[in-house]
Amino acid sequence: MISRDALVLIAGLAVVAAATAVLRMFLAVSPTTVALALLLVVLATATLSRLWVAIVVSIVAMLVLNFFFLPPVGTFTIADPENWVALFAFLIVAVIASQLSAAARDREREAVSRRNEVTRLFDLSRDVLLTETAGGLEALTRHVSRRFDLAKVAVCLPADEGWEMHQGGEEPVVIEEADLERTLASTRGVLEFDAHARAYSGYTSVMSASGESISLIPLRHGTKAIGVLAAVAPGVDLGTLDAVAGVAAIAIERVQFLREREAAAIVRQKADLASMLLASLSHDLRTPLTAIRVAVENLRQDSLETDARREQVRVALLELDRLTRLFQDILDMARIDAQGIVAENQWVSPADIVDAATAYVRHALEGRTVRVEATSDADVEVDPRLVSAALAHLLENAAQYSARDQPIGVAARAGASGFEVSVTDKGPGLDPGELDHLFERFYRGRLARQASFGTGMGLAITRGLLAAAGGRVWAENVPGAGARFTIAVPCPTRAAAGVE
Amino acid sequence: MPLRILVVDDEPNILATLAPLLRSRGYDVTTAMNGRGALEAVERDNPDLIVLDLGLPDMDGVDVCRLVRDGRATPIIVLSARGAEDDKVRALDSGADDYVTKPFGVEELLARVRVALRRTDVTPAQSGPIVLGSLVIDRERFRLVRDGEEVRLTPKEFELLIFLAQHPGRVLTHRAILKAIWGPHAVDQPEHLRVLIGSLRKKIERDPSSPRYILTEPWVGYRFADEPA
Repeated sequence: MISRDALVLIAGLAVVAAATAVLRMFLAVSPTTVALALLLVVLATATLSRLWVAIVVSIVAMLVLNFFFLPPVGTFTIADPENWVALFAFLIVAVIASQLSAAARDREREAVSRRNEVTRLFDLSRDVLLTETAGGLEALTRHVSRRFDLAKVAVCLPADEGWEMHQGGEEPVVIEEADLERTLASTRGVLEFDAHARAYSGYTSVMSASGESISLIPLRHGTKAIGVLAAVAPGVDLGTLDAVAGVAAIAIERVQFLREREAAAIVRQKADLASMLLASLSHDLRTPLTAIRVAVENLRQDSLETDARREQVRVALLELDRLTRLFQDILDMARIDAQGIVAENQWVSPADIVDAATAYVRHALEGRTVRVEATSDADVEVDPRLVSAALAHLLENAAQYSARDQPIGVAARAGASGFEVSVTDKGPGLDPGELDHLFERFYRGRLARQASFGTGMGLAITRGLLAAAGGRVWAENVPGAGARFTIAVPCPTRAAAGVE
Repeated sequence: MPLRILVVDDEPNILATLAPLLRSRGYDVTTAMNGRGALEAVERDNPDLIVLDLGLPDMDGVDVCRLVRDGRATPIIVLSARGAEDDKVRALDSGADDYVTKPFGVEELLARVRVALRRTDVTPAQSGPIVLGSLVIDRERFRLVRDGEEVRLTPKEFELLIFLAQHPGRVLTHRAILKAIWGPHAVDQPEHLRVLIGSLRKKIERDPSSPRYILTEPWVGYRFADEPA
């Protein structure tokens, strides 16, 4: 590859040769004219290229002038001292012109690189504004790496123990924690701006084990250093890195702020939930407790007749059932909240899951027709305990939200994508407005609010159990019927054993 | 003729236990499961007492109180499962006479029922001394005698004592007392009442820290003991 300088050199020499040849044909041409013509060539060369090219061309031009045009022609002897002046003029013009053009070119190059830097910084700050909290710092470091073409860059933040490193480049930056500590310590109580390097004080660089120079730039919140930006950045100047560190510090602040806000929102949500739980429990616990207490006190009366006595026992047992269910729901909810549910998968048939679920809510399904359609002859590998418990809640809901004389439809199957079971009732269906809230904790359907049954936890538990089992549940209205709830659990399926 | 009690609750099993309880004590019981049914039963059966749950499906129990009180003096005992004092206070201010919080003991409810029913057949005398335990309140001469010794009360203390003693056994909300003693503009200044109750207790109670006459209903108001312990 021939460099631009070599090309200009060759071109300059060629023009000198051509000019000489042309001027030699006109013998009457005075040496002054020749000198001026060659000076033009030198000037052009100096403008287009570097100093050394200009000097070479000017020396050649001077020699040509001397040899071909200055008397005695045909020798390099300079008879007239005047011609020494011409020679120096050539050299000085070459030097000044090439200095001027080099300075102009440098300024242009710097302007372009500044513009690039500003553009990159702008892009980086836009990236930062779009950064979400999840993996925010990794994303930030990746953006820095991408925008500034850095293969090795890391944001290092002091943690409770040691340092938290957020790597962004293709390769990790390997650095001693002591170096990071030292960089951070050197910033304490000092904040100076180095105008020449366009950077705040505190930057440093260390040699890595592999012999690379790693720049360490403090990340500052205001005047306080909160971490260190480490980068292997041979082509990027210090001022740029310092500006990047400034943007990175803002991004870190933003990510931390977002995290705090999220944490505050979670705390608030928990408080809301706790007060809802209290309000709900207040009603759901007190009512059965009152009924049981009064029923038992009634039973103490010797005068009570046998029928009345039986009735009081029945009421007390029913309310005890209700308390038991509420207790179970609270326990399930607590387990879901504590993420204490682990799926234990095993091969079962869809029909077994439906049987287990109906057995679980036998009390609610008493006297009801349940039409089970388990058409599949394949087994599924799911946690039968979780899935049947979830299904049981749906069955209980269907029984509560539809008239006693209406059948409840259950369709279970093992499909290509896993296990699917739906429960369809012939109740009033779901209000379109409540679809969004159905699975929220303590949300009760219109009917449940009026008749005050249910704990408002059933569907939330269903969803929680299925999430633990890796599945999901959704609701829809069935034209001409009521509501349909469907559970889907992606899982392996196989032909049922012992079918052949 | 037995006294008739209307029990209003939306929980069938509460009705199924309360009704036999009250019947076994000789009351005639009718039931309703919502606000509309309650108002109809009041018109139809003209009960002597209403036991009313505040959490009704079709209307606010407090509104039922107000509608019943509009033209009738039938005593109302409110059942509240909410544990929220605000609801009780609203109900009491809307005309309820007393409240019981679920879950309640049977004897507690029966005692409240007896007090509320007694009030209906004895309209308190407008004059003459009130005798309660060891207290004799002489309304005409503004004198209070405790254990045979005269106790000096300020006019406001005497006014408060008379107001409480005229409603024995009944819960009086802060608001109702403030309104009766200081007038409607004072209802938002419960601190006046606390101070006055404190000074009155010092004069009439043997041990003001465990009062026998003026009982505190936490967050709701005060109750003048019906049968001082």
